[in-house]
Amino acid sequence: MSSFPMRKHPLKLVGILLVTVILGFVMLPAVVVTITAFNDKAILAFPPQSYSLRWFARSLAYDDFRKGFWNGLIVTAWASTLALAIGTGFALALHRYSFSLKSTLEGLLLSPLVIPHFTIGLGLLILSAQLTVGRGFPLVILAHVILVLPFVLRSVFISLQNLDGRLEMAASSLGASPGRVLFTVTLPLLVPGLVSGWLFAAILSFNEFTATLFVSNQAAQTLPVAMYNYVREYADPTLAALSVIYIVVTALLLTLANLFFGLGKILNVDAH
Amino acid sequence: MTQRPFLGWLVSPAVLLALGLAAAMAAILQYSVRAYVPGSLDVGGLTFENFTTLLRPFYLWAFWNTILLCLMTATFTLILAYPVAYALVRVNNKALKSFILIASITPLFLGEVVRTYSWMIVLGNNGFINSVLMSLGIIDSPLQMMFTTSGVVAALVHVTMPIMVIMLTAGLSHIDRNYEKAAESLGAGPIRCFMTVTLPLSMPGVVAGFSTAFAWTFSAFATPQLIGGGKVNTVSTLVYQLGFASFNFPFAASLSFAGLVMTFAVLALMKRAMRPIERLGEQ
Amino acid sequence: MLTLTDTGLVEPASQSLSTARPAVQLDGVTKRFGNATALHEAWLKIVPGEFMTLLGPSGCGKTTLLNLIAGFLDADGGEIFIDGTLVTETPAHQREIGIVFQNYALFPHMTVANNIAYGLKTRGIEAGEIRRRVEEALALVKLTGFDDRKPRQLSGGQQQRVALARALVIRPKVLLLDEPFSALDKNLRASMQLELKEIQQRLGVTTIFVTHDQAEALSMSERIAVMSAGRIHQIAGPQDVYRRPQDRFVASFIGDASVLSGRLVAVTETAAQVAVGPLTVEVPGAPLAGLAAGADVDLFVRPEHLVLVDQDATGPALNGIVKNQVFQGGHVDLYLELADHAAEPVLLRSSGAHSSSKFRSGDIVHVRPASMDLIAFPKQDG
Repeated sequence: MSSFPMRKHPLKLVGILLVTVILGFVMLPAVVVTITAFNDKAILAFPPQSYSLRWFARSLAYDDFRKGFWNGLIVTAWASTLALAIGTGFALALHRYSFSLKSTLEGLLLSPLVIPHFTIGLGLLILSAQLTVGRGFPLVILAHVILVLPFVLRSVFISLQNLDGRLEMAASSLGASPGRVLFTVTLPLLVPGLVSGWLFAAILSFNEFTATLFVSNQAAQTLPVAMYNYVREYADPTLAALSVIYIVVTALLLTLANLFFGLGKILNVDAH
Repeated sequence: MTQRPFLGWLVSPAVLLALGLAAAMAAILQYSVRAYVPGSLDVGGLTFENFTTLLRPFYLWAFWNTILLCLMTATFTLILAYPVAYALVRVNNKALKSFILIASITPLFLGEVVRTYSWMIVLGNNGFINSVLMSLGIIDSPLQMMFTTSGVVAALVHVTMPIMVIMLTAGLSHIDRNYEKAAESLGAGPIRCFMTVTLPLSMPGVVAGFSTAFAWTFSAFATPQLIGGGKVNTVSTLVYQLGFASFNFPFAASLSFAGLVMTFAVLALMKRAMRPIERLGEQ
Repeated sequence: MLTLTDTGLVEPASQSLSTARPAVQLDGVTKRFGNATALHEAWLKIVPGEFMTLLGPSGCGKTTLLNLIAGFLDADGGEIFIDGTLVTETPAHQREIGIVFQNYALFPHMTVANNIAYGLKTRGIEAGEIRRRVEEALALVKLTGFDDRKPRQLSGGQQQRVALARALVIRPKVLLLDEPFSALDKNLRASMQLELKEIQQRLGVTTIFVTHDQAEALSMSERIAVMSAGRIHQIAGPQDVYRRPQDRFVASFIGDASVLSGRLVAVTETAAQVAVGPLTVEVPGAPLAGLAAGADVDLFVRPEHLVLVDQDATGPALNGIVKNQVFQGGHVDLYLELADHAAEPVLLRSSGAHSSSKFRSGDIVHVRPASMDLIAFPKQDG
């Protein structure tokens, strides 16, 4: 007895090597930033001469970051929840009904996928100036809802397509009113899609930068904006430390999402 | 179905949001034809001067540069993302598959600022690449990678990789494995099988990924701003400078508007040009 | 090139089947997926021109076996020969095998003609010859003139013809058919089966046909390999598989069979006597070899071999109660409860002429197995 996968080796080896190199490119910045974060010196150098945790301490203590973090949470909670509510309703309507201007409305709401973020930011900024409402939380939240809605819409719509319509028919044949069907059958079955849509929206909203830069003011400054302002003024590894925290938390969230929902399914990349 | 229960409840919030977006776009259009009043946030009367200014070589050049940057980024991203997507679809080991998936899409969730900052450390004169190359004695003085187009492209490729991987993987995973088996049984080796069957059938994913990468690159601001450092002008960095450095919002609006028109034009053009290619993958 | 006759691996011809060099030969081929053994030491010889069917329920390993022969899977043990050549380590694209897939796998981005030409192009055949052979193949499957259609413009039956033409045009050493009829509706299926069989015989191409449909297997094959749980249970002609099943699995999987509880009276190498109630029947001895007289055995009876007898007829019979009567068009199925002799209701099939509405449930009837093609196996616990 022998094992035979050898026969596919030459090309397979090239493929494995290629993918490894590419993944190396993808992960390089994260690795470099991690090394930097533990560098004791304020000036970047490789390899670091000595190591410390002081940049972590500083990044956690820095006022603008703390405030940005809380602002970001407020904006994210509002934006992703509003986007989920609006997106779910609209996805249901899209899936079930035909109504006038349906495709126009769909196109308009999906357009932020291709409209540059700075354009949306600038547009909302001018609009707020015209309406004299000024920059701040409401405007930032509005911008975020507009930007993350396409992702929620997509996630919920895919779940709806995978939902067996006969279940709803069965419920209404058993005497359930449309409202009862919606709340006892449709929505409970959509929960995985809703959760993943919300999560996706929350992560994107928390990280949104360009549009937020246009529509936020000092009081409503989110974490990415605070980080941008920091990197323009200082060159020490504080931001590297913060980035490491960011990367670790994000990777953890993604791993959890992968465990509980299967990322492949959320991103619609699984065949089965 | 003639009854449409809750239609109003389901749709009206979305209508309001769409109106908000439309109003913002209308505001840009409206500002773009107003005169700039220096030193004031108010705007003057109707004028087309903003659009004639756009035709100056400096701005035309910026537009052309931006398009080139987007095309380069999308092309390199496609080349790098394809093998990863292919591996994601082909690898059977569940743990390895999860690792590749998470490694390749985590950057998507890190935000532009963190990623751009990381690339500044990688590319800087005292950065990772230069330090490594110098300590190995390969170079004597640092390579200039910051503030160059190549540096910006490298970072932007990194930005658009995840979405490209996702779109290509979606496209590839919908190809029935039996097509490849059929090709193999008919005598096609791995390379021929890939070129004549897998690649053509994955074209819808390629087109979707390329268009999205193009649009995302056009939208990118922090990367060209920080890594380009003013040396690499794109539409996004110019809009920001005009708005927040000189408060010339009318001109910023006209630049944005032109950029929007250009984005849609390029995407439409790309769709048209790629239709015969995309048709290859129709199932 | 190593041939079997050279190595002396081929036994001297004892029957007509093994005189020729086998078109396909499997020597103890094993395949594992993780801890699960998908195929356990499969031994199989297929004669040139033969129509061999791999039959079994889903998950029995038939598709694994097909994929191993095609080269899509690597064996964990054993050797595979095609046309006398060792191919265990030959990649799929060098095995010269034609395959018709369950869903046909016609390249959606190519025309019918390009689909058929694909295998010829990979062989570097010149354009004129390709055109000629494609036309020939299209004529063979009665699709002349369909050259420029795309697969999606074809009906299911037409797609299958194209798939068949594509597989045959390369003049494969073996034709593999992976449940090719399962996507067709019933009427079309029957005519395609006839047509496929006709083409196969005309070309004389060695064919391995994978199916879970026993009717399909019994009607089309020259020999059937009955598989279950990764093992080949029996390799024999359709008649033999049905009439002389080698074990319990084959007996119950092929056709309908009811199980009666019996007691072994006596057993020799060739025959055994089994008592069921007042009856004693004769069955082949081999399956019961080694059992002591008095042992419990299960007697397998085909529905058409159970006959109704009149109460006043001579000879012993079993008493049964009619549980259910099902009209099947050409015949009637009676389900009978045989109190002490069978755990499950026993099926009796009588031709339609035999009065369809004679019985009501609860009626008492008398039955007797006709003493032909009965077979018994040691009683299975549980």
